[in-house]
Amino acid sequence: MKALILAAGEGRDVVPFTSTRPKPMIRIAGRYLLEHTIQKLNECGINDVNIVVGHMQNKVIDTFQGGGDFGTNIHYVRQQDARAGIGQAVSEAKDRFIPGEYFMLIYGDVLASQNIFRHTLQAFGVSRSAVASVNLTPSPEMFGNVYLDPRMKITRIIEKPLKEHRGNYVLSGVFILPYSFFSVLEEAGNSMELALSQMAGKNQLNASIWEGGWIDVAYPWDILNANQLLMNEWEKAVIDKTVALKGNVTIEGPVIIEEGVEIRSGTIIQGPAFIGRNSFIGNNVLIRNFTAVGPESTIGYGVELKNCIMFGRSTVGRLSFIGDSVIGTGVDIGSGTMTINRGELGKSVKTRVHEAVIDTGLKKLGAFVGDDVIIGAGNTIIAGTVINAGVSIPHNHSYPM
Amino acid sequence: MCGISGIIGSKNISGQLLNSIRNLEYRGYDSCGMALNNGKGISVKKNVGFVDDVERKEGLSRMGGKMGIAHTRWATHGSVSQANTHPHLSCRGDFACVHNGIISNYRALRESLQKEGHKFLSETDTEVIPHLMEKNFESLKDVEKAFVATLRQLEGTFAIAMISIYEQDRIYCAKFESPLILGLGKDANYIGSDFNAFIEYTKTAVILDSGEYAIVTGDSFTVKESLGMEPVEKETINISWDVEMSKKGGYPHYMLKEIYEQPQAIVNAMGVDREKIREIAEAMARSERTYLLGVGTTFYVAKYGQYCFSDISGCFLPSISSDEFTNLAEVDEKTTVLALSQSGETYDTLSAVRFAKERGAKIAVVVNVIGSSLSRLADYTVLQGSGPEICVISTKAAVSQMVILTRLAAEFACARGKINESQRDEIEKNLLQLPETIQRMLNEKSGFIHTLAHKYSHIKNWLYLGRGIYYPVALESALKMKEVSYVHAEGMPGGFLKHGTIAMIDSEHYAVVFVPPKEDKKLFDLTMGSIEEIKARKGFVLGFYFNSLDMNNDLFDERITLPSINAVSAPFLQLVAAQLFAYFTATALKRNIDKPRSLAKSVTVA
Repeated sequence: MKALILAAGEGRDVVPFTSTRPKPMIRIAGRYLLEHTIQKLNECGINDVNIVVGHMQNKVIDTFQGGGDFGTNIHYVRQQDARAGIGQAVSEAKDRFIPGEYFMLIYGDVLASQNIFRHTLQAFGVSRSAVASVNLTPSPEMFGNVYLDPRMKITRIIEKPLKEHRGNYVLSGVFILPYSFFSVLEEAGNSMELALSQMAGKNQLNASIWEGGWIDVAYPWDILNANQLLMNEWEKAVIDKTVALKGNVTIEGPVIIEEGVEIRSGTIIQGPAFIGRNSFIGNNVLIRNFTAVGPESTIGYGVELKNCIMFGRSTVGRLSFIGDSVIGTGVDIGSGTMTINRGELGKSVKTRVHEAVIDTGLKKLGAFVGDDVIIGAGNTIIAGTVINAGVSIPHNHSYPM
Repeated sequence: MCGISGIIGSKNISGQLLNSIRNLEYRGYDSCGMALNNGKGISVKKNVGFVDDVERKEGLSRMGGKMGIAHTRWATHGSVSQANTHPHLSCRGDFACVHNGIISNYRALRESLQKEGHKFLSETDTEVIPHLMEKNFESLKDVEKAFVATLRQLEGTFAIAMISIYEQDRIYCAKFESPLILGLGKDANYIGSDFNAFIEYTKTAVILDSGEYAIVTGDSFTVKESLGMEPVEKETINISWDVEMSKKGGYPHYMLKEIYEQPQAIVNAMGVDREKIREIAEAMARSERTYLLGVGTTFYVAKYGQYCFSDISGCFLPSISSDEFTNLAEVDEKTTVLALSQSGETYDTLSAVRFAKERGAKIAVVVNVIGSSLSRLADYTVLQGSGPEICVISTKAAVSQMVILTRLAAEFACARGKINESQRDEIEKNLLQLPETIQRMLNEKSGFIHTLAHKYSHIKNWLYLGRGIYYPVALESALKMKEVSYVHAEGMPGGFLKHGTIAMIDSEHYAVVFVPPKEDKKLFDLTMGSIEEIKARKGFVLGFYFNSLDMNNDLFDERITLPSINAVSAPFLQLVAAQLFAYFTATALKRNIDKPRSLAKSVTVA
């Protein structure tokens, strides 16, 4: 079976990271979101992958190329107008598929614990007709909600329902569809919602209930949740043989430490944690659980990192604390920088996403720091702060001022 | 209990045989094995674990052979070990046998066989069978005669299947109390503990009666009576269950699948012929006393029934847990016993019913499985028609029985002249609204219940409270929680709380309260009173309540709002919501949903 991954969208709410990359290129638990998808498809024997690219497409193409490094075959479909919607994106890939065959359609911003694709394939194995994976989420108002009948047919799809209809299963963003879906989509004016609703109306869409963890990365704090979801699945430590532990390094729990990493004495790593290739971890560093230090990063003396995702090529200067935060690539954090990672008076932290200020529901949240940001020494970053890509902050401030 | 299966055909059947015990796994799943005759003697592979584990370890499906028997075990005699796993062989390996049930005289048989030099490899009662076969065959030189001689030496309740190297074209099987049926296919014939063993391959079946044995070949079968070896005419029946219904499809667990099948199960229960129900109602109305009987979930269903009879007819029909029946009940010819059992094989209920039958009582049963032992004892049988219930935890079968009991209570009230026919029709009309309302609730409340269950999955102790007919709902809901999530939950009448248990209540205690519809003012006010008592002591309350309620008070810490509905249907909605709450708690805790530890689908031992 061939797969179609939608990775063209702008994903503009994942501030500030999607201004410099498409959403599937966000790093979670040490790997690109897209990489997790490709790897799990590979595990269930799907290695003919078509990716619709649009927004910042070269970032995807330059990284994944023909797919050889990732054990798969990738063909790219370029969506001319990345804002034209997902129905349009699916249509543009029509030529890549074979009449009469089924294909798997995957929304590129969806992440699940374990293998949601295999589970959907199993349901397809029983029904031998179109299948949509569905799951329960605490925030059904953000997704397409489905009504099921006892035979697992989807009878109705309601997009982003009103409060009184909340609590339904939602579409997980993983489908197995027949080639004929392309003509249904065309008739529906390239509206994915309408096309799926029409199939449901004709009793042609089966549900596959997903009980595992599931996250749609819609906002920057979803990166932290997704990271925890994946790292919680880890069961063993994998430390590359080239890793240099310079005496008295304590490692607890499941960790992944890649090739060429050097860790100086006095450092404690509490897994689950990830340290990417060729990174340098200085003396007396405390890396706490759910931290992912991307490749080629430098962590200075006495730094504490907690539930912190660094995409890579960044530096954290000595005696800093970075907690519950996401740091883009090429970021330079000056020494003695403190993130404040909790809301005032025990309230949950709010974050500005473009013009809106959104309550994240998280009691602990630090900062979202875009690519190539420079933070001067001795800064304090307020909880929930978004620092846009390329911004420079002078020494010794409380940011935002 | 255990599951036994056998297949004989013209092609290699090892894959089919494996699939067959996989479909029987819910009958017992601590170990399994297969014995096949591949023309070069009998080969046996067996090990401990779920069927798929054993397949990985032993490669059961690759054994090869045109005839074979298989077994999935639920240990009763002897520990869970590879040696104790069926099939068992005779000393020379010329007979292989699988068995379900108990051979009560196995110690004596074993000792005498051992004295004669037979070597036993396991601690099971089963192993005496192949050794007896070997011994009897030596003297009688005929497999069938040896088989019958063996059967006559065995005491207890059992079903067995046996193959030998002397007759490579037939499987022998016999039924004494424990269930056993034959399946007749195009290219092969089948033996199984129930339909799930072969429903994928054939829908034509023959039900054996107790005391009968059968000789099954690839294209024929003969049933004989084990005392006289006289052939018995058997009728074939067609199974109407859909193959797909026995499969999980897109559902993650059978439990969720069966929760979703409840609307259909209710439709089927409403479709049960009125005459069948009236017949029982009239027998009960004629009796001096009627007992409602069940154990585990079916006891709570019986208790629900007790309230139903009281509500609708004003009559007191005691519900008794089957295992306590003989200690309590007064039984004579003027007694009717109404027994409930999904499988119809429940040991405790069967013995209670036998006890009552011996004393002349009329027996009525509500069961889900055709041809079960219980229905064979009964004067009246209602087949609830819920389709196979695979998950060990009962959901749809229980709800379906509740519907049948409600209908029965209405007919009974009619027969006693307490209500008229139009009042009865009104009750049935109300029940008919249930399927659609439950379907809607499943589609609109699942997410919310899921969120709540995950939020409170860390709670170790729950108190489940209800008053009146909501008390059995509380009991059954608490049992669901215990069974599937291994979380302690105690069901209790709301009024009982202040007589002792209330001493425990503080901010660390969590209660679920089933609030009746507001229209039921007396019960509603009393229930709210119980909540006040808990809140006054800073306890936590999760309320299952109906839409119509004016909820301007902050008594509840959390609430699950259900669609408002008539009083007859209200307990059903609460129970379904509580099933989901238990299910999602168990998924949050990553429990083995369809096969919880220490539980078997139907408990056929004392």
